[in-house]
Amino acid sequence: MINEENAGKGAVNAVPVAKSPFTHASTSAQAAAAIGAIPPVLTEFNCPLCNKLYYSIGDLTKHYEECHPGRVVPRIVVLHINGKDCEVLVEPHWTLKRTLQFRLGLTGAKHMCDRGVCGSCTVIIDGRPVLSCTTLTVECEGKSITTVEGIAADPKWKPLIDAYCRWDAMQCGYCTPGFVVSAKALLDRNPHPTEEEIKEALSGNICICGTYPRHAQAIMEAALKMSAEG
Amino acid sequence: MADLAGVNGQREEFRVVGKPNLPGVLSYAMATGMAKFGLDHVLPGMLHAKFLRSPYAHARIISVDTSKARALDGVVDILTWEDEDIKNLVSYGEHWGPVRAWLDNTADQEGAEVGVIVVAESEDICEEALRLLDVKWEVLPHVVNIMEGRKEDAFVIRPYDRHTPTFGRPDPNAPPQPPKKGNVAYSNVCWGDIEEGFKQADYIAEVKMYIPAFASHFPNPPGSVAWWTKDPYKGDAEILHIEGAVRERIPISKMYNVPLENVVQESLFMGGKYCDWGLRRAQEITPLLAKRTGRPVRCVNTREETFDFAMKQRFVHLRVGFTKEGLITAIDDHSVVDGGVYGSSSFGTVGDQKHGPYNSVKCKNIRQCWEIVDSNRGMMYVSGQHSPFNWDCITVVNQLIAEKLGKDVIEVARLNLHGPTAKDDPNPVPSFERCVEAGKKLMNWQWHPARTKRLPDGRWHGMSFRYQICPRHSVSGYMCKLEYRDGAVVLPTQGPVFGAYMVEAVAMVVAEEVGINYEDLKILYDYREPFSPVGGGSDGSTASAWAMKECANILKREILKAAIEYADSMPNFAFMPLQSNPPPEPGPFKGLKPEDLDIKDSMIYVKADPSKAVHISRATPKPLVATYMGRPPLSSWLTGGGHVFDCMNTLYCEVAVDEETGEVEILRFGAVVDPGKILRRTSLESQVDQAMFFSQGCQLFEDYVFDERTGVRLNANMIDYKKPTMKDVPLVERDFIESRNGNAAYGATGISHSMANTHLVITAIYNAIGVWVDPPATPDKVLKALGKA
Repeated sequence: MINEENAGKGAVNAVPVAKSPFTHASTSAQAAAAIGAIPPVLTEFNCPLCNKLYYSIGDLTKHYEECHPGRVVPRIVVLHINGKDCEVLVEPHWTLKRTLQFRLGLTGAKHMCDRGVCGSCTVIIDGRPVLSCTTLTVECEGKSITTVEGIAADPKWKPLIDAYCRWDAMQCGYCTPGFVVSAKALLDRNPHPTEEEIKEALSGNICICGTYPRHAQAIMEAALKMSAEG
Repeated sequence: MADLAGVNGQREEFRVVGKPNLPGVLSYAMATGMAKFGLDHVLPGMLHAKFLRSPYAHARIISVDTSKARALDGVVDILTWEDEDIKNLVSYGEHWGPVRAWLDNTADQEGAEVGVIVVAESEDICEEALRLLDVKWEVLPHVVNIMEGRKEDAFVIRPYDRHTPTFGRPDPNAPPQPPKKGNVAYSNVCWGDIEEGFKQADYIAEVKMYIPAFASHFPNPPGSVAWWTKDPYKGDAEILHIEGAVRERIPISKMYNVPLENVVQESLFMGGKYCDWGLRRAQEITPLLAKRTGRPVRCVNTREETFDFAMKQRFVHLRVGFTKEGLITAIDDHSVVDGGVYGSSSFGTVGDQKHGPYNSVKCKNIRQCWEIVDSNRGMMYVSGQHSPFNWDCITVVNQLIAEKLGKDVIEVARLNLHGPTAKDDPNPVPSFERCVEAGKKLMNWQWHPARTKRLPDGRWHGMSFRYQICPRHSVSGYMCKLEYRDGAVVLPTQGPVFGAYMVEAVAMVVAEEVGINYEDLKILYDYREPFSPVGGGSDGSTASAWAMKECANILKREILKAAIEYADSMPNFAFMPLQSNPPPEPGPFKGLKPEDLDIKDSMIYVKADPSKAVHISRATPKPLVATYMGRPPLSSWLTGGGHVFDCMNTLYCEVAVDEETGEVEILRFGAVVDPGKILRRTSLESQVDQAMFFSQGCQLFEDYVFDERTGVRLNANMIDYKKPTMKDVPLVERDFIESRNGNAAYGATGISHSMANTHLVITAIYNAIGVWVDPPATPDKVLKALGKA
């Protein structure tokens, strides 16, 4: 039997081998970095209508009065995302999906249907899975929001991510984060779901690549592992 | 047949290939949301762009006044079809239809991009500006009902286009096609003597089949983000960054006359494609807009703007003659098929006639008369769910014969399927026989005639069968490169990363051949790398894996040689790099020859004494490169013109039909598939499931609905156009046969397109209730067919 222990005895200075950038550790770190990069306080205020830069909301408001009279002035909303408070400058009609991508750089929630049908943009708000494409950002103030980045960065959910990868519950991968978020929301409220309960909970997520049977396998495996790990 | 040409094509022991539950190298990126798709890019100062979309199915812009839109706060640029910058644009994407102006003032479908592009600070402003355009339209008559459009007195929507669609090299022996008449072009293919065939028949059956249009519906809406920079290492050369038009650097490079090396594309994740390779205008326009504005520009279609056809609507009138034993003597297929809007691909029309289902039957008297009708229904890009669907003419024919004669449909299919080499070959097809044997067992197959079996709950039970060849298209060659560097085996590839995980299957073959553990292989994604696993559909994973298998063996030899060379060089080897790790201690290979060594489980070892071994990371500090260019032998699907069978697949369906409510439940699908050799099992299983869920969707739920009066599509959104959800899809039971008969890696072939079908469920419904229902078989249609509505 050949293995590292009995092979080439006496060789001590083995070269560290470069591994794929896509492991759980690396992607978890990337997710944490994406969350960490969100500034808690806004210091720059670009005019959404003409892209001019201001350094206070007061100056931007004044600019609106002078240059864009009659237009709705954007406002600062404080969001609590993935355990972190942050200010965002949004217009009243902005959806949370749009804010996540274009203000916070969180791109795990995906745009597929853009009208609350496909589940690709799912996030968790106050413990419930919610479609961020049909949720206004201004409605989210004071609520706790978890995105797939927050799940990826949290070691507690490693078994779920591992199981998704082990069962290959993805093909093109575009809708996958939405499924993972729905799965996490399910496991939060039901740590031991049956296959039927999983189907029910994930029936709002649409995959066109034929992965449906794999999600239940992955989620049930993750549930067992998380239960065993306490 | 079989991988006789390649290294280790007959390998029997596999450590990595075919192994289940092996996470892909990219799995973690996808599951965590870290996979970056082109449209995820957000840049400082980024602008947005939107096209004017036609509210009419067929219309011309007479004039447009842009002054109010230009005055709107936040509007940065507006272009019309009359601008030189637009007139000069030429698309080099894969369209495979007649060349058309990149953008003009004519809209040939509702929702088509036409006439004007607005660039603004946000998408909202773009939309507001589009509403402020003062557009004078000339509304023209349209054709969205092709049965009306084919009539002689129908309005001719494209009098300027008199060409007959072709596909590939024309057959020099074929008689010329009739000239196009009105909206109708003709593609007629005749073999044998159709009249004589009908004379030989004991029975003649007829059926009218309807094949609905089907949305390709890839998950990620098409679009792009582009910006220009200057690279201090490239002098004054401008660098074009374009994300979202994945795998399209070459056409974008040509379109904007930028050297390929200066076109940068970092995000290789491209989402689902389902072989829809058409480059959309939103993917092509952003470099121009970014150049004009000096800022990054993003242009992305909405979901409603992304409802292109993957399958064209087709009406088929089938007549089939057969003997009292069930042997087909003549097939007459008269089809009326949607030709789509101007510029549509011929892939889904005449392309399908070449390798169609009729090649598979013994019968030599076959006539296909196809009317291809110009329409204003929609654009057909180079899209992949086409030809396999046409095999369902044979599915339906076999069912007709089985019901007429009271014979098992599988026996009818077997009787009519010709041998593995040609129409005159009387031998059974081994792969078909193995699939059927396993399929009967899987499904506990007990065929019954139509409307003869009720389930305990009173619903009618129906069952159906379908077969097809597993195709490999053989159209691509591969430029392979593998490296050994920093102690790791590296597979550099430009990707792309979509759907079927093609690179992962290739990586498994590399790990297998070099002898390393899968996790010790590093896949390096870089748009500049020459290797791409893409080919004609199923070529991607199987044929590119074959080429990479050759390359892996070259690299393995180099590694073994280098390991000995390194051992031999000690202790004279005095190199001590200044800024990197110290070199590894060499393995105990001094004085040996490469043939004395082997690699297994990432350990290089002496064959005569396996305890003398080192991890591959310690082979040598010397970087090594292996290259290979080539492809496996052409596939039987291509060389045999569809008459040579190596790997087949068979599908089964059981339904329950409630004749009171009209509801159809698919009790289960069965799929017994011979992919030759399983490379990546989970991908294969998902490909099978995907094809079956596509089949369910297009036979029970999906169809485009047009308002014929206005030509407007009424359900181009994900609410009204229903895709199956997790709660909708039935059980898919699978079994795989590994005949090793394909001629890609280890005898593998592709399966991806070949199981998608339009009539497996429909024939099962027929078997249940004894009447045909057009797909999608919604309850109202079922009740109507039963005379209850």
